[in-house]
Amino acid sequence: MSELEKGLARYLTAEWGRPIEVRGLVETSAGARRRNVLFDAWDGGEVQRLAATITPSAAMEIMHVLVESGALRMAEKAGVPVPHLHAVGEDPAFVGGPFFIGERVDGETVPRRVLRLVDGAGIGELVTAQIGRAFAALHAAPVADAPSGLKQPDPGVSPVDAGLAGLAEQIGELLQPGPALSLGFRWLQRNRPQRSELRIVHGDLRNGNLIVGEDGLRAVLDWEACHLGDPMEDLAWTCVRTWRFGSDEREVGGFAALPVLVDAYREAGGDFDPDGFHWWKVYGTLRWGIGLAKQAAQHIDGSVPSIVMAASGRRVAELEYDLLALLDREYGGEA
Amino acid sequence: MQDRPTASELLETIARFLDDELLTALEGGLQYRVRVASNLVKILEREARLGPEALDRECARLSEVLRLDAAALGATAEQRVQELNRRLVERLQAPGEDAELERRAWRALMAIARDKLAIARPGYAPADPGGNEA
Repeated sequence: MSELEKGLARYLTAEWGRPIEVRGLVETSAGARRRNVLFDAWDGGEVQRLAATITPSAAMEIMHVLVESGALRMAEKAGVPVPHLHAVGEDPAFVGGPFFIGERVDGETVPRRVLRLVDGAGIGELVTAQIGRAFAALHAAPVADAPSGLKQPDPGVSPVDAGLAGLAEQIGELLQPGPALSLGFRWLQRNRPQRSELRIVHGDLRNGNLIVGEDGLRAVLDWEACHLGDPMEDLAWTCVRTWRFGSDEREVGGFAALPVLVDAYREAGGDFDPDGFHWWKVYGTLRWGIGLAKQAAQHIDGSVPSIVMAASGRRVAELEYDLLALLDREYGGEA
Repeated sequence: MQDRPTASELLETIARFLDDELLTALEGGLQYRVRVASNLVKILEREARLGPEALDRECARLSEVLRLDAAALGATAEQRVQELNRRLVERLQAPGEDAELERRAWRALMAIARDKLAIARPGYAPADPGGNEA
């Protein structure tokens, strides 16, 4: 038995007050920052099919494990499909770092495989509608239900202004001048949407953070970017071109057209604001371009040496193009 | 002058070696990273072939946006283009309205983005702009 299996067994035995054996442990997280492992927990009678997410060390956490697990519980209560949480651990004595253990949900998570499954089963519109309903449920959750410690704009600052402040800081750290990115930022500053709401938002809901099966969307994962912000930020991020993984003509994650998402969102009580959606889509596209440039910078400065991080630097051009294309209505027109 | 094969030919050779001989012998994370390496080699091959002219076009386009003579901005093409980019960012970060600059900049930057993509990811930008793929 590996150290990991022993650690999980020790933890569950203490937590559940009866001897637990860990069997069939499988790692599913090649190359990811955190470890995701699937395993069975056997108590001599019943088998529980579980999944654990482990951060190698507390220093590497993007969000404290108690906040992330709080977000999962809040989401489940709000009616968003998420894996049910069984246990949360901060003590590195068990598996080396903070972790949480939840029910195992079967299905596909790798983006291109998700798209193949969805195309094969003809469930693109179904999945899109399910995403719309999940968003409506999340955005309807009372802000008071948000776990304490969740990131939010400073008092008196709107999500739009908080977003701009965050981008300004990141643009300042770019290794080289990026006029396309600066033009996008300039447009965002000068075209702020009228409306700005503060709700609990997922922050990274896209193909890649979903579990999908033949019956459609089964779970929304990776709540580390959960924060208080504008609901349109969530819908727009899902629709950023990069997250269509090649099925570019289907705006919502490569699954279906935007109206399918909007209709389902509205029918489930969501308030769709087209101006806000467009603004946050420009924002998300710019933000991801800056994010890729930052990955390349982390390789170059030696903090995260990796050929994959280095290659990110040559993908910034895609986001620059997408950003400029989104502003075609504004600046294009006559050649 | 270096002997044949040229830089471009060698890069093409390395890419083909990685794809045809190395990838099939690997699996999992290592196979993925070699695929990334192969893609980078192909980018470098296109850069060797298309890069210099793309840089010259970038220099001309940015000079036109900024209404500057780039010759005085640096000794090499790279230095001139670096300085032009820096100055355009400065102009775009300046307060106040300048719709004309934004429009001129957008056109130039769109053309420059297409040239970058011809090297970094051919086919990503459709030949005919229009449609709503973004």
